[in-house]
Amino acid sequence: MKHVFQHPPESETGKRYWRGPGDLSNTPEFRDWLEREFPAGSAELQDDEWSRRGFLKLMGASMALAGFGLNSCRRPEAHLVPFTKSAEWTIPGKSLYYATAMPRRNGALPLIATTVDGRPIKMEGNPLHPSSGGATDIFAQASILDLYDPTRSREFLKKGKPADRAAFDGDIEKLRTQFQGDGGAGLAFLVEETHSPTRERLRTELERKYPSMVWSVYDAAASDAQQAATQASFGANTHLIPRLERADVVLALDSDFLDCGEGDVAGVRAFTSRRRISESKDSMNRLYVVENRFSLTGSMADHRLRCAASQIPAFTFALARKIADATTDAGLSAILATLPPSAGGTGFDEEWTTEAARDLVARSGTSLVLAGASQPVVVQLLVYGINSALKNIGTTLSIRDMARNPRTLSLLQLAAEIVAGRVKQLFIFGGDPVYNAFRGLAQDAETKQPLDWADLQKKVPQVIRLGYHVDATSALSHWHVPLAHYLESWGDALTAEGGYLSVQPMIMPLFGGMSEIELMNMLLGGPKVEGPELVQETFRASAPAGDFQTAWSKFLHDGFTAPVPARDRAAALNTAGAGSLGQKLWAATPAPTPESPEIVFVRSYSIDDGRYSNNGWLQELPDPVTKLTWDNAALLSPNLAQHLDVVTGDLLRISVIDAAKDAKGQQVTRELVIAALIAPGHADNSITIPLGYGRKMPGFDSLPYAGGAVEDNPMTADQIGFNAYLLRTVSNPHFIVADGKAVESVKVEKTGDKYPFSITQEHWSIEGRGLVREATLDRYRADSDFVKKIAGDDELPATLPSLYTHPAMDAVQQWGMSVDLNVCTGCSACVIACQAENNIPVVGKLQVGHGRAMHWMRIDRYFASEKGFEQDKREWPEDPEMVHQPMMCQHCENAPCETVCPVNATVHSEDGLNVMAYNRCIGTRYCANNCPFKVRRFNFFDYNQRPVGKKKIAGEFSTYNEYLGPLTSKGAPDIVKLQKNPNVTVRMRGIMEKCSYCVQRIEEAKIGARVRAGASSDTRIPRDSFTSACAQACPNDAIVFGDKADPESRVSKMKAQDRNYRLLEYLNVKTRTSYLARIRNPNPKMPDARKIGVASPKEQESNETVEHGDEAEREKGKLNPAGASQPNHP
Amino acid sequence: MANFFPRWTNWLPLKIAVCGVLMVGGLTAATWYYVTPKYTRVGYEPIQPVPFPHDLHVSQLGMDCRYCHSFVDVAAHSNLPNTQTCMNCHTQVQKDNPKLEPVRASWKTGKPIEWVQIHRTPDYVFYNHAAHVNRGISCFSCHGEINKMPVVYHAKPHSMAWCLECHRHPENFLRPDDQIFNLDWKPDDVKPAEFVSKYGKPVGVTDDWAQKKTLTQKEIGQTLKERWNIQPPINCQGCHR
Repeated sequence: MKHVFQHPPESETGKRYWRGPGDLSNTPEFRDWLEREFPAGSAELQDDEWSRRGFLKLMGASMALAGFGLNSCRRPEAHLVPFTKSAEWTIPGKSLYYATAMPRRNGALPLIATTVDGRPIKMEGNPLHPSSGGATDIFAQASILDLYDPTRSREFLKKGKPADRAAFDGDIEKLRTQFQGDGGAGLAFLVEETHSPTRERLRTELERKYPSMVWSVYDAAASDAQQAATQASFGANTHLIPRLERADVVLALDSDFLDCGEGDVAGVRAFTSRRRISESKDSMNRLYVVENRFSLTGSMADHRLRCAASQIPAFTFALARKIADATTDAGLSAILATLPPSAGGTGFDEEWTTEAARDLVARSGTSLVLAGASQPVVVQLLVYGINSALKNIGTTLSIRDMARNPRTLSLLQLAAEIVAGRVKQLFIFGGDPVYNAFRGLAQDAETKQPLDWADLQKKVPQVIRLGYHVDATSALSHWHVPLAHYLESWGDALTAEGGYLSVQPMIMPLFGGMSEIELMNMLLGGPKVEGPELVQETFRASAPAGDFQTAWSKFLHDGFTAPVPARDRAAALNTAGAGSLGQKLWAATPAPTPESPEIVFVRSYSIDDGRYSNNGWLQELPDPVTKLTWDNAALLSPNLAQHLDVVTGDLLRISVIDAAKDAKGQQVTRELVIAALIAPGHADNSITIPLGYGRKMPGFDSLPYAGGAVEDNPMTADQIGFNAYLLRTVSNPHFIVADGKAVESVKVEKTGDKYPFSITQEHWSIEGRGLVREATLDRYRADSDFVKKIAGDDELPATLPSLYTHPAMDAVQQWGMSVDLNVCTGCSACVIACQAENNIPVVGKLQVGHGRAMHWMRIDRYFASEKGFEQDKREWPEDPEMVHQPMMCQHCENAPCETVCPVNATVHSEDGLNVMAYNRCIGTRYCANNCPFKVRRFNFFDYNQRPVGKKKIAGEFSTYNEYLGPLTSKGAPDIVKLQKNPNVTVRMRGIMEKCSYCVQRIEEAKIGARVRAGASSDTRIPRDSFTSACAQACPNDAIVFGDKADPESRVSKMKAQDRNYRLLEYLNVKTRTSYLARIRNPNPKMPDARKIGVASPKEQESNETVEHGDEAEREKGKLNPAGASQPNHP
Repeated sequence: MANFFPRWTNWLPLKIAVCGVLMVGGLTAATWYYVTPKYTRVGYEPIQPVPFPHDLHVSQLGMDCRYCHSFVDVAAHSNLPNTQTCMNCHTQVQKDNPKLEPVRASWKTGKPIEWVQIHRTPDYVFYNHAAHVNRGISCFSCHGEINKMPVVYHAKPHSMAWCLECHRHPENFLRPDDQIFNLDWKPDDVKPAEFVSKYGKPVGVTDDWAQKKTLTQKEIGQTLKERWNIQPPINCQGCHR
């Protein structure tokens, strides 16, 4: 008789963990995801691919052709090609490691590049440098794919036609003579922030030589509000650095400071260092978050308040007032006095604000209030005032000196120069201003029409663009020069805290690209450089101690100069300066309404401001919060969605009508058509749109040359996602709200069309109990074994019966992994690191939609709420919490997959790994069907051999970046092959694969230990001497990998903690990966404290000692007395 | 209608069955023999750009394997010598030999010599030379008597079953660590007294091996296996990643 296994029943009351609406309301589609490894139909070719009949026909043809090909059965001759002369350091088959750094918006990230046979294949953090600590983020990991981007610019283009380098050199030489004559009149630069001292030095030299030149910096996702506020409050050239490791209580106002993608890995690590606990008596920090959308910071919050972004100023005012009253701080009161008393808005949870303020005041000196960079200057000023009143300046908020060149113009100022006709030669380094500059930057002098950057660029007689891709900006430039990747060029950079890093090339420029500093050197007329001369010059100026060559070699070897002890500056808040600036800038913003909601722009978690648009790894990475791939969307709250009568996938037309009329007295309207996505936990009357999508890139779109129009359609079928830059103006850089001053109204309406999304939130859903476990710190202290009482783990017999026998796991070293849910911020660096390490292919949007994504590792994002979902009323839980759970092969000791494989392709090793032998796999997919964790991935197609390109699917709205099907020419381009890790097999069609615990690293370590052992018996791998790719990338050390048989190893110590639990313990699968339960630290006095971090009904029932015992009592009455979690064994 | 089928057809089913069995058996046997590496690979001796005589260099001149294959004991690959390595000697020795013309041309032009690969593992097999030669496995075990080959040929089958022969019973192949690159070594060369004083004896052996005249390969291998803690992987992951 077939036995259907019953999971322990789930109780009717208490908190639920859910992934999406389908999960909440248990729709048939969701059951399909839940009950099958691959959803129904995913194994068949879809209508839009090939019909089975057509496929068989093709197969017949190819078989016949194969017959003709049989004339040569001999093994093809292969050649071995040694070097002619030995290359220094090179040992064939051995990796070399070089220190370098990735220049980023907020300071560079120190890295170590792994190179094999002269090609970089993997990036890791530089463990010697505190700004990285060995960790990376998704962009550093994915930058390696950018280097091998087949669509990157390969040649010099003059007016769109290929030209040679000599012609370019000649043109520059001509320009140089001209500049020498007129002092650089008409010369302008538009650059991105890279924090390179060498670039800064060359810029100063250029300014000395050509005094009339103009230098402008633009970064779409940056904001200068913080800088302006810092200067007014603490003096020019100051820079504030939050010291999160010192803060007991943190309140973030629309500040996503836990987003590693900003490059501040050290800051995130500092925060999580105060959340890492090893036993119940340890203390934790507490995080309050006020934000409009669920951010990664919000997902880590202990208390989270939904608040429209435009209402943050009013909230800050209200908070500042309460803190000023409580602390009687003169400075803060003085600043508040300059603002109108009506400034503090209403409609905030009064109790929430009061208790949060009280908590901050109680921890004066160890609290910290942070405001997001996108918030206006006045919020920053108030926050400085609050921190000053809380005595945090100098303790949790350090002040550093940081020199700035005062001659830097903003984009707006540059636009004014162009309109005035003062710019004749414009050099654009990187960026893509035609795509991402503010719209309506300037007004035409004659017609009074607003001008976008594309119009402005056409006014400049000569535009020279140094760009990585031939993009929309290049299409309007006279010269396009290929930009060298940072892994191809010499350079240097500063970290966020001002540490000096070297950037050294790993490979010669693949397509003869140039770096910014090379081009600047050409303009200066310096001698032609081929090596590090320019950087050496800068380095020499920093006066390294001792012999120059030794110091230089050490600089390159370590990747940084010996850290100069950072000196914090003692500075008091300049109340008068802050007050007067605040008074000048304060503007009350009316609260958004359902009829006229606010529009908030945020940087995309996946592709930043659009600079990684052509990076398949990042495009396919599910957004950590929404789990959306390949697209952005208008995120809106369930309530607003109900008001607008939209569901996820409905296209919306967003119209922003400016208050000012144009020259003809017409209304100025900006429009964007974008698909909606219902985001639980989003503030009402607010719509968040991630920037960075809808960028025209080569490979997606053919771009005409200059002079030809680059038209911005509000909705182009040939692009990926939706371009939110179309709505963005200088007056509304970060959010648009109908304030009556700049914007008259914001209209949102349904177009009636649908847009297909590929959202992975319900893919690979796991059935089972107690997958994520959490508790409050108080509960944990009261009952340190709470984790064992969830899902009935404590009621299981000591040894569970098993029908199967397994090979003995008798190796000395036994591998295991531990994941600490308490410090996992969900940043997904591990997912990209895994993809880079293990040659995981990109499959495209449609394949992701079919459930064929190949990621070995995913991050399951669960919402947690008390209330369920009522499908008919479309009532969603209002304030869900969020938990991230990294999920990969759990390496079960009793692995269900192994027992069903008919060909023994997946077996157990003596050191406890569940291994895959690809060459044995025949693709039955039985193993995947039997995997309770759904971590096995199947190569439905030859993803590694066939291109992913543009494909229009019949009947669908959009063009996909898609796997193109079996008839395309076989074989990946060479440039793509260069990235592959030679130590991992590149899998073909019809093969099952999954997380291997980075078996190639384990084997490399084993072999290393044996080679070292030689003629001796000590073959043990030194403790914690290597780790898996995900664990190495994790900025927070949430993932720890190692030898679980060694009680002193890090992983054993993690597993020994009382928060440790294994998934689906009652199935007796005995997983090697275990999790540490998440602990939240709510303030019991807060109004929402009762529901925070309440792990499970079972736990609620058993625990009556906490402050809300009466609630627990009430809940208890409703509970099923028969014991919620009686395991039912097969 | 009588006798529609003639009499001889009575035997037809049996004949067909016998023929079928013979054919299937024959095909199986033929495949077993002819389509396995033992037959397809052993003896492969392609024409090389330069007919490098290993017998001359190793047996007559006494060169060590590692003079040319310099990274065999540190890396997964056993590297082929650079042109530079050849020219270290051949700028003085045999500097006008016409057979060495490709080497001199490579040295002049900087274009490497394209040697024809003989020992080739599939892409999904990750073999590591360093792990073997540092742990008592000689070049001889996989490459045969390469020191006696005028031109190198494929001497052993290199099939998976052949690999496992040793991985399951390494004691049949292990040799003292100073004899790895001595391709002429025989177990009889071992002086038992010296061996026992250096490496000891396997657990449980009570005989006085020092009194023996010779030691067998098994005895030597077992001693070394225990002394060096040799545990070759017999799991998939050892070679397939």
